[in-house]
Amino acid sequence: MRLLFLSKALACMTVLGAALLPAAAGAQTTDRALQKKQMAEVVDTKKFKKAGPYTIGVAAGYMSNSWVVFCLQHIRYEASLHKDVKDVIVTDAAFNPSKQVADIEDLVAKNVSLIIYWPVDEKAIQPALEKAVAKGIPTVNAGGGFSYSAGTVSNAFIDQWALGEEGARHFVKDLGGKGKIFAMLPIAGTTAAVDQLAALKAVLKDHPNIELLSAEYGDWNRAKAKQISENLLQRYPKIDGVFSPAGQMSMGVAEAFEDAGRMKGLTMSPGDEYNGWMKWVVKNQKGGAVTFPTRAGQEATKLGLKILAGEPVPRGLVIPSEYIAPKDAAKFAEMNKPDDWWASKLPEQFKPK
Amino acid sequence: MSPAAASAWSSASEALSRWAILCVLAVLYLVAIALSDAFLEPVYVGNILRQAAPVGIAAIGTTLVMILGCIDLSIGAIISFSAVLCAVLMAGDARNVPMAVGLTLAVGAALGAINGLLVVFNRDSSFILTLGSALAIYGLTQIFSGGTARGMVAPDFREFFNHRLGDVLPVLALTLLLLAAAIEALLRTTRFGRQIYLIGSNREAARLSGLPVAGVIFACYVISGGFAALGGIAVLARSGVSSTFTGRGFEFDALAAIVLGGTLFSGGRGTVVGTVAGTLVLFIAFNLVNILGFNYNLQLVLKGAIIVVASAAYARLGRDR
Amino acid sequence: MAVAAAPVAAVQSLAHRAGIYGLLAVVLVAALLFVPGFASPTNLANVVTQSAALGLVAIGQTFVIAGGLIDLSVGQLLGLSVVLSCAISEGRSELLLPVLAAMVALGAAVGVAHGTLVNRFRIEPLILTFGTLSILQGAIFAYTDQSVGRPPAELVWLANGRLLGLPVAGLVLLGFAAFAHLLLRHSRFGLRLLATGGDADSARRAGVDVARVRLFAFVLSGLGATLAGLLVAGRLGTGYPNAGQGFELDAIVAAVLGGASLAGGRGTIAGTVAAVILLGVISNVLNLLEVSAFVQTFAKGLIVVTAIVATRARSGGGPFSARRLPAAGTAGRDAG
Repeated sequence: MRLLFLSKALACMTVLGAALLPAAAGAQTTDRALQKKQMAEVVDTKKFKKAGPYTIGVAAGYMSNSWVVFCLQHIRYEASLHKDVKDVIVTDAAFNPSKQVADIEDLVAKNVSLIIYWPVDEKAIQPALEKAVAKGIPTVNAGGGFSYSAGTVSNAFIDQWALGEEGARHFVKDLGGKGKIFAMLPIAGTTAAVDQLAALKAVLKDHPNIELLSAEYGDWNRAKAKQISENLLQRYPKIDGVFSPAGQMSMGVAEAFEDAGRMKGLTMSPGDEYNGWMKWVVKNQKGGAVTFPTRAGQEATKLGLKILAGEPVPRGLVIPSEYIAPKDAAKFAEMNKPDDWWASKLPEQFKPK
Repeated sequence: MSPAAASAWSSASEALSRWAILCVLAVLYLVAIALSDAFLEPVYVGNILRQAAPVGIAAIGTTLVMILGCIDLSIGAIISFSAVLCAVLMAGDARNVPMAVGLTLAVGAALGAINGLLVVFNRDSSFILTLGSALAIYGLTQIFSGGTARGMVAPDFREFFNHRLGDVLPVLALTLLLLAAAIEALLRTTRFGRQIYLIGSNREAARLSGLPVAGVIFACYVISGGFAALGGIAVLARSGVSSTFTGRGFEFDALAAIVLGGTLFSGGRGTVVGTVAGTLVLFIAFNLVNILGFNYNLQLVLKGAIIVVASAAYARLGRDR
Repeated sequence: MAVAAAPVAAVQSLAHRAGIYGLLAVVLVAALLFVPGFASPTNLANVVTQSAALGLVAIGQTFVIAGGLIDLSVGQLLGLSVVLSCAISEGRSELLLPVLAAMVALGAAVGVAHGTLVNRFRIEPLILTFGTLSILQGAIFAYTDQSVGRPPAELVWLANGRLLGLPVAGLVLLGFAAFAHLLLRHSRFGLRLLATGGDADSARRAGVDVARVRLFAFVLSGLGATLAGLLVAGRLGTGYPNAGQGFELDAIVAAVLGGASLAGGRGTIAGTVAAVILLGVISNVLNLLEVSAFVQTFAKGLIVVTAIVATRARSGGGPFSARRLPAAGTAGRDAG
């Protein structure tokens, strides 16, 4: 009798599964033209205007990687330059979207003047952000993705597509226009991963002699990137290049190739300005970087304070990425600082311990 | 079944369940070779051993705790903390390495000691107590590191552990094997080892016979903590950078490896050889799935399936005793 | 001395019976008095809303723990429920009841699977549900790696709304808790479950169908997870694949803080709910006090350890006892 129930339940589930397959979301493609239009929209911020002193609330989706730690330090630094900002409160959701929702609610309860955030999952926190906006608390997204929704007043972000594209162009040039490559991308499903891959593919359209063997997801994790690369090295006897815009993953990839003795003749794409990667570039004079500036935090704070002053701001402010050639890497690498570090113009007392 | 046949089957199945994991490992390896030549290459096998080293080393220590019938959920946290601590102490200077490694080991053992004290004085609660201490230690790791991966690994440190002996076996992999051999010897040949098995089988009886139950439990937790610290150092050696969440999930991977290796939750049975074999089974399975081009998600499903099937098999074998 | 011992023992017993309730009372009073912003009705309602989902999962977990089992898969099952309910309904209200039915079926089916595997194959519940945790997680991510779908507006209201000023999620929790309480402590099933958890052998000899009791406990655990998933879907407004991560351990912590013992045979719904609220209050207070997120993790661990040590029953047996972790079958004994 139990088995009957079990099989009925399984049958139900299969039917449901089949029914909702069409509803399954495919990979999102960013409509670049639409996004450019949305970014340029000017927000009327008069309803957010308030007088100081201000308390800035930072709802961090996660604090467990060095990029966001630096981003936060940039926020603190900018806050310190304005005498009407009296406090910065930080909450950490540790990759738990329910917690980020709760954190935002708690910040609202504390009557912060402004909320700067980077999401675990953009959609999951929209309802909570909308409630904040409804209460007159402006919200600014700091980081890697552009959000055009009611819950986000403005964005200070890095254009992942442009980053991917610039990196891909230099990469293709260094490759000489032909060869077999694979892509090492961050966490699957994030704007970064989706846009970087889309940009790479767009650039590859003009170069039919380059074959993309595989797209892998290393989750911004050096050890994981290394493990995946080791397996790819086994699977594919010939690999000419690796597209890896995230420097910490590039390090793992490079190590795997070095270990396997297949470093010679390998072209690495530019990574980002992750310190460990910059040190590697200085040493090996390959690859270079397209920056992923942590000062997004600073720009987000500036945007937020403008909103609080009632000044108009654009919906999206791009923090431009710059290309660093291998020969210039020495200017950016801090050889005596840990690998897990980012080049910045932060004054000494604001740098992480 | 006649009594003679029954007892023959019973001792056969006992032997089978003891060495089942080795059979599974052998079969899996053969399957892997059939599916991909990579597994025949010594360099690749060396890679897998090196990948498995952190989890495997930590699991060796925890095996002792589990033979006792307790559990240690804090090893993931201790691994994270140790990796960060060791990197900070090293500060990029090769001369600091012995001090860094030694001190990290001591701290790991100390954390294990705290776990040991908690468990000794609160019966039946090792699950929840080590869960709580895991949270506390993760928190400490985050506070200490400030969110970034602090510290710098001395350059020669990684080179040493990643160096391949005879161009094949990474030193780290050899470390795993040596540590495993050492603890297995401890379990089999010393009185301490026998006491662990006795206490695991029947704690009340052991206590009544005058065995130093509290002392043994305490000592095993200290060892578990120390080995978790070694696991953290191994992670550092392997990847060169300590992030705050290095060890997350390791405790459950180690647990799976230990259980796959034949250690029972109720205690009294288990071997380090089994644990190492269990670790290898998990890692060969992951890499096999990866190398065949399957999704990461399939790895998860496979991991789960292996655990369920293996446990069922063990339970079946155990039942006939 | 025997004369003095009786009242001392009574006070001790009262003190640790008061255990979680006393702790909750103390923390609540301290928060109301000393934490600015805590006492506001909005904040209090927030705390309840934030705790409701965990409450449902923890109640389900209480049943399995009381039965001497454990269920680690509830977190991923919750995640699966979130993803499926959002993906199926895509915001359409007319699909609310079918989705509800589907999630009930899912929770029950997983529970039946667990119970059957434990009963028939004697697999240790800890390791079994750890295996199914992996399987469920893999299944979720095989289906999608990004957020999908939207919950019907009713679920959003259920998770976030107010009825007569009270948070609806809190009322849902209360209703579920009341039902669970009656089931655990005032029904024959509950009696049998506690007996099985305490000593499966004796229960069996007394005529309890241990296998069926265990199966039903797993079903309740599965239901707690999938129904909680509906609430979380309403809260997030989207089907986030990793939504369930960590729920299983928090639920176990809550159940144990609330008086359940992992060795089985003990547990109360009221205690579990009190523990869930306590955890929610602590998280809220730490946020309001602007305690660094890193310190919060450390504090939570410290609180768990302290609470366990403080509220542990010290009745008989001394520091050591023959019972340890939940065991699926009795050693060597064959049964149905």
